[in-house]
Amino acid sequence: MESSEEIIKVQGLVKRYGDFTAVDGSEFSVHKGEVFGLLGPNGAGKTTTLEMLVGLRKPDEGTAIVGGYDITRELDKVKEVIGVQLQSTTLFELLTVEEILHLYGSFYREHISIPDLIEDMLLTEKKNSRIKGLSGGQKQRLAIALALVHDPQIIFLDEPTTGLDPQARRTLWDIILRLKERGKTVVLTTHYMDEAHVLCDRIAIMDQGKLIALDTPGELVKNLQSDSAVEFRFDEEADVVLSEIEGVKQVGSQKDVHILYTDNLQQTLTSLIAIASEKELRLVDLQTRTATLEDVFIHMTGRRLREG
Amino acid sequence: MRAYYQLTLAQLRIFLRNRQVLFWTLAFPIFLMIMLGSFLGNGNGISLTVAVVDQDNSEQSKLLVKELKKNKAITIEKSSDEKNMLQLLKDGDLQLVVTIPEGYAKSLAAGEGTNPFKLPVYYNETNLTVSQVGLQLVNNAVDTISKKQVDYKPVVVTDSKGVEALNLRYIDFLVPGIVAMMIMSNNMNGVAGQISSWRERGILRRMQGTTLKASTFIAAQITARFMLNGLQAMIVLGVAWAVFGIEVRGSWLTVVAFVTLGTLAFMAIGFIIAGIAKTPESAGPIAGFLSFPMLFLGGVFFPIKDMPEFIQPIVQVLPIAHLSHALRETMNVGASFMDLGMEAIILSCWLIGAFIAASFTFKWE
Repeated sequence: MESSEEIIKVQGLVKRYGDFTAVDGSEFSVHKGEVFGLLGPNGAGKTTTLEMLVGLRKPDEGTAIVGGYDITRELDKVKEVIGVQLQSTTLFELLTVEEILHLYGSFYREHISIPDLIEDMLLTEKKNSRIKGLSGGQKQRLAIALALVHDPQIIFLDEPTTGLDPQARRTLWDIILRLKERGKTVVLTTHYMDEAHVLCDRIAIMDQGKLIALDTPGELVKNLQSDSAVEFRFDEEADVVLSEIEGVKQVGSQKDVHILYTDNLQQTLTSLIAIASEKELRLVDLQTRTATLEDVFIHMTGRRLREG
Repeated sequence: MRAYYQLTLAQLRIFLRNRQVLFWTLAFPIFLMIMLGSFLGNGNGISLTVAVVDQDNSEQSKLLVKELKKNKAITIEKSSDEKNMLQLLKDGDLQLVVTIPEGYAKSLAAGEGTNPFKLPVYYNETNLTVSQVGLQLVNNAVDTISKKQVDYKPVVVTDSKGVEALNLRYIDFLVPGIVAMMIMSNNMNGVAGQISSWRERGILRRMQGTTLKASTFIAAQITARFMLNGLQAMIVLGVAWAVFGIEVRGSWLTVVAFVTLGTLAFMAIGFIIAGIAKTPESAGPIAGFLSFPMLFLGGVFFPIKDMPEFIQPIVQVLPIAHLSHALRETMNVGASFMDLGMEAIILSCWLIGAFIAASFTFKWE
């Protein structure tokens, strides 16, 4: 389904709030039929970028072409070809699932069959229930149903799985992957690594308003040039030069947690334990894993995606 | 058009499902009406108890008492003890004491040419308004007697309207005021509160992400609220009719026209408040700041003419004053829409001005 046709073209978007620059000249393209992820910590500018693309915020500089229309000049046309699910939106709580879908359907010139949509979003059992009584996962599926009601080409999802339990998250992932199968283009923001890895064809990593990397998840991890990570803490302040441990290619440390990136896990581990014994340091929370997108982020910014 | 219909429907569903709001917005005006109506209805209204001390005890004096009794506003209490009656008058238990002295019948029989007979009527100066009305009524009765006596054929008759107005009770004054108050608070406070809370919760923002136009949204909002308000106004009038026997003397169409104008004008003001208020928490106090003075100055509970001179100019421009006055004139006196052109024009000015201001202050987020 994926093609190289550019369905969204972002050209130097800038958004300032007083002295603070929330989005600082983003430039990227989204291909037709792909799932495109905007990844970054809170406050990185993901949501602001997305909200400018759907016309909820006016960019201070730059523009974007969405589905062939300019967001600064042809917003009405843009709105017809996009579907939006916003972060933490509440809906009319006293309406039922079916009623609100008919309501949102009426906002557009045409809409798809509501019963089919309800079934697709696994809400058939709840179609006569009031929104008030839905679970978090059901509300989120309803929010996505509302974004799909007019059969848009491009769907924007702002942190669709934040705050959901693992089961509900997986259900939502399936729904997003099914959208992709149907040829929809999906742009989503997230701060979950695993989610970005599973869902996204390409990922743009944002930090402090800037786009710092854009590639497929596989390529991003590969660029770390190490496939394993060793994570640990010392139980007291230690004076060790970690980069001198055998096999270590990169060191990522924040606060008291240290991460060593290596291609030779065994060598690095043996060496680490030897040094710890020699200096009479106790290793705490020692774990090894394969490098992930999280490590890409740490490597690029020196910080974790989610602090604490 | 489909969006307008669906939004109106959605809004009505939300109203009807929000039972608590529905109940209390209705319960408050009805409660207020019944409380004020039953407690103040008698004390403040113009009901007169007149004591008649008939010392003459003749056919003629009985005729005079009968004439006085004809007026429904007067309760007659017969007595022979003038002194005791005068004491009751001083205490405020009576409003007037009419004494028919001995020789009344004789004097009448003497007929024309003689000096008119002097009928002493005692009143209490501390209760001047009521006394004046009472004196007027007694005068009327006496006048009728005199005219009969001289076989007088009137060339000019007064309009019965004046006497009719005297039969108005406080509750008659109150009910149109309560309806006006309800229209003001349900629309102004209701719109301000709901729109600002929808904005805060991101409901409006989500709709902004669709092709829905603000004008469609506002039009649907107005339609739904207007339907609900019309219904509530009718319920209040129904209760007033059932409990206090209030009726609409003028045309229902005029009542409906003013309910419409008032609803739209106050809704527009509500949209302005919703635009100004940054949070739903601040919308309440802002609406309160506007509605409280209007409640007390706008002729809802007390007649505007009772207000001090210096507030009059302010009171005269308040929309609620014109709404309550127009409803009162229609319901109590039976004025037609044409008679109330000024009120209609002023309310329309508020409506148009407020909608223009609202369109500048309306924000989706």
